[in-house]
Amino acid sequence: MSVDGDVTRILRERATRLARPEASAPPTDTLELLEFRLAAERYAVETRLVSEVHVLRELTPLPGTPPFVRGIVNLRGRILPVYDLKKFFGLPEQGLTDLHRIVVVNGGDFEIGLLADVVTGVRTLSPAALSPPLPTLSAIAAEYLRGVSEDRLVVLDLARLLSDPRIVVNDGENE
Amino acid sequence: MKWNVGTKIAAGFAATLAIFLMVSLVAWRNVETSTEDAAWVTHTHEVLTTVSRLLSSLQSIEGSERGFIITGDAEYLEPFRSGVTEVETQRLRLAELVNDNPAQSARVQTLASLITARVRVLEEGMEARQARDFSAAQEVVIAGHGKKAMDDIRAMIAAITATEEKLLGQRALTANQAAATAATTISACTVLGVILATIIGFLITRNVSSPLRALTIAADRITVGDLGANVDLGGREDELGALARSFERMMQSLRSMAAAAEQIAAGDLRASVTPLSPNDVVGHAFVKMSANLRAQIGGMVEGAAVLGSAASQIVASTSQLASGASESAAAVSQTTTTVEEIRQTAQVASQKARGVSDTAQRAMQVTTTGRKSAEDAAAGMVRIRAQMDAIGASMMRLSEQSQAIGQIIASVEDLAAQSNLLAVNAAIEAAKAGEQGKGFSVVAQEVKSLAEQSRQATDRVRTILSDIQKATTAAVMATEQGNKAVEAGSRHTELAGESIQSLSGSVSEAAQAATQIAASSQQQLVGMDQVAGAMESIKQASTQNVASARQLETAARNLSELGQRLKRLVDNYAM
Repeated sequence: MSVDGDVTRILRERATRLARPEASAPPTDTLELLEFRLAAERYAVETRLVSEVHVLRELTPLPGTPPFVRGIVNLRGRILPVYDLKKFFGLPEQGLTDLHRIVVVNGGDFEIGLLADVVTGVRTLSPAALSPPLPTLSAIAAEYLRGVSEDRLVVLDLARLLSDPRIVVNDGENE
Repeated sequence: MKWNVGTKIAAGFAATLAIFLMVSLVAWRNVETSTEDAAWVTHTHEVLTTVSRLLSSLQSIEGSERGFIITGDAEYLEPFRSGVTEVETQRLRLAELVNDNPAQSARVQTLASLITARVRVLEEGMEARQARDFSAAQEVVIAGHGKKAMDDIRAMIAAITATEEKLLGQRALTANQAAATAATTISACTVLGVILATIIGFLITRNVSSPLRALTIAADRITVGDLGANVDLGGREDELGALARSFERMMQSLRSMAAAAEQIAAGDLRASVTPLSPNDVVGHAFVKMSANLRAQIGGMVEGAAVLGSAASQIVASTSQLASGASESAAAVSQTTTTVEEIRQTAQVASQKARGVSDTAQRAMQVTTTGRKSAEDAAAGMVRIRAQMDAIGASMMRLSEQSQAIGQIIASVEDLAAQSNLLAVNAAIEAAKAGEQGKGFSVVAQEVKSLAEQSRQATDRVRTILSDIQKATTAAVMATEQGNKAVEAGSRHTELAGESIQSLSGSVSEAAQAATQIAASSQQQLVGMDQVAGAMESIKQASTQNVASARQLETAARNLSELGQRLKRLVDNYAM
């Protein structure tokens, strides 16, 4: 009987050790982030502004546009401009392949595709965990950054980026 | 008056010559007188002889006349006639001889008339005998005219003879007196001449010979090289004085020469001698000697320098030679040892050569076996080649299948990537759905995880496939090389067969050669013995060489020192 008692006790201890408390409900002010990589650096944007992620297919270069506009793509009948944040932020340039992804973001009344080298996945992060950007972290204009996490994830302020008039390509206004 | 030596000698000779002439004159005069006296004596003797002959001829014709008278024979007439002629001849000669003496001439005149009278008496007797007879003639004779004439004649002849003998005695006396006078005169003159000549000779000798002796002594001292002799004769003005002054000048010249020679002897060749005249043989010789000495000493200086450096080089060379000789001796010694070893080796080689000859026979049998093995090997190579071809085909198929697997893996990867993208989009949609999308979010997360596992699995497969492809490629290449190796092996096997074939012939030849080698080895052994002996001789010669080189080195060092000394010597000369 002592053996049975020992077995029972061991099993109970093991169950206690393996038992996990149920994850508490996430606080309402958590950030849902889509993480991707540009060159060797990791960036993230808020998920609520992202429509979908797509494979880069049939990019058509568009003449007469700023350098950060790589061209346009046809996505299920929608014509989207593709912006290269690396050009925008002055990161090292690489050639385009089929492995590149387009992160489709919604700017309210318009949609644009952001070019990403690799899309890592979706994660959550507390805004309190973000620290102000260091001046030495790349050459990104501090105004487009919400902050940098402890594991050096750069969180972009997509709303401010999209509302920047320099981003918007409008021939009429430029003229 | 100035008397030079010539004048003195001439005066002395003149005095002596005068005495000599005086003696000669006296002697000549004496001889002249003697000759005259002798002539007169001879004349007297001739007169006496002629008188004697005249008397003899008269007696002869008397005898002839008596004979004719007695016999009447005509043969007595002839002697009578010739006797008469002879008497006449003697009488004429007598008259001629005494014509310088008037008394004697008168006597001869008388004698002539007496002779004529006697001859007439004789002729009368003969005419009487011839005309008549003996008695007539006897009468004539008895008359006595003939005997009286004859006695007169004898008396006259005696008178003549007496006169002549008296003259002879007078002349002898005169001659004796003259001879005595001459002897006295000659003796006196001779004594006088001897005394005078002695005095003059003594004076001249004293006046000339003592300065000459002094000069001779000085000349002797000069001859033996002493130039300090004093030849001052007190200012004599004659030839000896001049000779002394010449001697003085000669000695000054010699002293200057000696001084120059002294300078040259001290090594200063700058001494210059000016010839005193164009005929100054010694001066010119001195100038030439000085120039020649300068040239020769210059040559000697250069020569000494050359000799010094040459001797130094010789020393260096001989040192090298000596060390070389030592090394060569050591090398010869080693060579001798080596030759001895070679000789032993040759002995061993000779034995080995016999062994080789036996071995070659066995090799013949082995090559036969080898040829068979080569044929078997060729057959085996053909089989290996067929199997290699089969392996090559299998490898080709394996490579193609690997390619197909690669394509499949690519498809799976693509699917995994699309799944991943889908999961991301699902997660985005779940986030948009809010609280209702929570479960969907978990599903999306699981899908993403599966996609990730698929991707990792395909990565591993791809890695493995890559290794397989590399291994396949290597195997294909190895198969190719194996094929080539088999081909080469096949060819080599054929070649080996041919080689073994030719090897068989070669081994046969080798067997014969081995026999010859054995014989040659024996000869070589004998030759090596001789070489060993010769090397021993060379070793001894080499040892002697080393000794000689040492001596040569010593000699060269001496030569070098000599050159250095010579150089130091010639450095003393001032040019």
